[in-house]
Amino acid sequence: MRSVRTRLTITLVALVAITAAVLGIGAYAFVDARIHDQVRDDAADQARFDLAVLAPGRWVPDPTEADLIRFTETFKARDVETIVVEGGADPFVSRTDLFGALETFSADFRARVAAGELAYEWTRIAGSPALVIGGRMAPVGPEIYFVHDTADVERTLEVLRIALAAGALGLVVVALLAARAVARGVLAPVEAAGRAAERIEAGDLSARVPVGSSDEFGAWAERFNRMAETLEHNISRLRESQAHNRRFVADVSHELRTPLTALVAEASILRDHLDALPPPSRRAGELLVADVGRLRSMVDELMEVSRFDAGAEQAALQSVDLGRLVEAVVAGRLPAARLELPERPLIVESDPRRVERILANLLDNANEHAPGSAVDVRLTSAGDVASLAVEDRGPGVDPERIGRIFERFFKADPSRHGGSSGLGLAIAAEHAALLGGRLTAANRAGGGLRIVLELPVTGSLPGGDPTAIGGADRGMRSNPPQEPVP
Amino acid sequence: MDATILLVEDDPSIREVTAIGLRNAGFTVETASDGREGLERFRAAPFDLVLLDVMLPRLDGLEVCREIRRTSTVPIVMLTARADTIDVVVGLEAGADDYVRKPFEVPELVARLRAALRRAGRRPDDAERLHLGALTIDVAGRTVERDGREIPLTRTEFDLLAELTRHAGQVLTRDVLLDRIWGYDYLGDSRLVDVAIQRLRAKVERDPSAPELILTVRGAGYKAAR
Repeated sequence: MRSVRTRLTITLVALVAITAAVLGIGAYAFVDARIHDQVRDDAADQARFDLAVLAPGRWVPDPTEADLIRFTETFKARDVETIVVEGGADPFVSRTDLFGALETFSADFRARVAAGELAYEWTRIAGSPALVIGGRMAPVGPEIYFVHDTADVERTLEVLRIALAAGALGLVVVALLAARAVARGVLAPVEAAGRAAERIEAGDLSARVPVGSSDEFGAWAERFNRMAETLEHNISRLRESQAHNRRFVADVSHELRTPLTALVAEASILRDHLDALPPPSRRAGELLVADVGRLRSMVDELMEVSRFDAGAEQAALQSVDLGRLVEAVVAGRLPAARLELPERPLIVESDPRRVERILANLLDNANEHAPGSAVDVRLTSAGDVASLAVEDRGPGVDPERIGRIFERFFKADPSRHGGSSGLGLAIAAEHAALLGGRLTAANRAGGGLRIVLELPVTGSLPGGDPTAIGGADRGMRSNPPQEPVP
Repeated sequence: MDATILLVEDDPSIREVTAIGLRNAGFTVETASDGREGLERFRAAPFDLVLLDVMLPRLDGLEVCREIRRTSTVPIVMLTARADTIDVVVGLEAGADDYVRKPFEVPELVARLRAALRRAGRRPDDAERLHLGALTIDVAGRTVERDGREIPLTRTEFDLLAELTRHAGQVLTRDVLLDRIWGYDYLGDSRLVDVAIQRLRAKVERDPSAPELILTVRGAGYKAAR
């Protein structure tokens, strides 16, 4: 944008400068030539008259010094100095500073005068510009050089030069200002559009370009605005429907919660009395209890997802002994799993409830997709990353679809209608991201799925350092400052 | 166990099935269907424990909790529909001793209520007197004094203070505190501890933002100053 403005300015100024220079120089050359011609013609007419009429009347043959002074006085009265050359004698000059001037005239000029022609030469005499007209008094009198001081003429021309140069400079300055104004005017809509586009890019869809003119820019601005309006309209509709969907999910799961609470409590009582039911209803009772459990975990997961969507989730960081936590979760969820823990306690700043949730979901996933198969849980640390791997020996996931495994409602086998909601891994991934970690999935070489949770170990502490005492309660803060451990 | 429980819950199904479950477990249960009725019943007769829904018509569960706390140290357990930090923390800050998330299974609820009752019914072994800074803790009388003036504490806050003071200078982890004060196994919600510590500090510290009596040990837990 800047370069366009600069280019426009330079072009315009250059154009004006060239025009001004050409016109100025042309005008000056013309005036200069005309004035010099005029001065020369006048002087030549005068000289012709003087040589033909005035001089012969005053000329005394073999003049003495006094005669010559008198002779030249005639011309001096008209501000014309003269140099008189007669025969081989020294030239007579009417003014002392004309001594030696004769030698400075060009040979051609002298020769033409000697031959009886009327000739002229522009020259400088004693530092001052002068026009010299030379001629021979008819028929074979002395050569007379009339010296006209042209300092006035030159001064006039100099004033003209200065005036023309100043005028040209003024024009260039005016052109510069005009060019900048024009450039700004022309580029203003472009810049406004640039700013509007920037704001739209930054997410402010209400940005518009001012429509200031009815020219091409105006039409273009209107089209830009129409485009922005359509964009804003469509995106706000999209957002609305998205927000509506989320609200709907949140509302539905919330509304489901009250009857679900009753159902869960009822099923838990029923479960304790299944034996007391007559056989035909006992099986139904068992199924009912199991299905209530399924319904509960689905609603729980929907609630969880809608909380993530609402941005309501915050990590409550505290120091967590990962090994101990993993041990406890595995013991509670999948006691058959093989457990590998590091020798030293691995303690991280994290949210234990979320770590537990992630691991529980990974174990449930393994249990569901590889029922009965061996499951390995391995906790390791390398550098500042703690890795928790859960491996099963099940069928794994189609390599083409494994990249989508953490998407919501992803099903490894679409034909299966299993008990899970298909949200477990997606939720686990959301929790991992909230903890500054991530989940990755890959098929094991020997068959089966391997999912790894990586957690940052920043702010890890040696187990229960009793010397580090902080006054503030850190447990409730979502983003505690990472202080160096002494 | 023949404790009497006041159950305040607005949804009839949940109220009924909860009452059945608690009665099956041997409790005597009285019910109320909104906050105001709950408060009236509480004032009319003594209860060993109050089980309180957070969202109640007419008078919010949190309000009921605060009202009860003004006159009583009876154990209060909240039923929260959401497990959000805000709901849980606000409930605990209103003076509840514990919370149970909805949906809940009856045995789980019963276990939590028993733990709360056990703590409330705990008899001090002797006429123990503890000192922490300028505080004098009378374990038998369950009172705390500073400069001859009594500081009112809830049962949970008192137990927490007494436990920390008994082990002054020694770090108690959140898990240990959960276990000893709330009667939970590992993996309970440590926010219970954090919120209770904050409330306790607000009452016993001269400047709660710069605690001198109950100190946070970073990465470990809490300890009372020796």
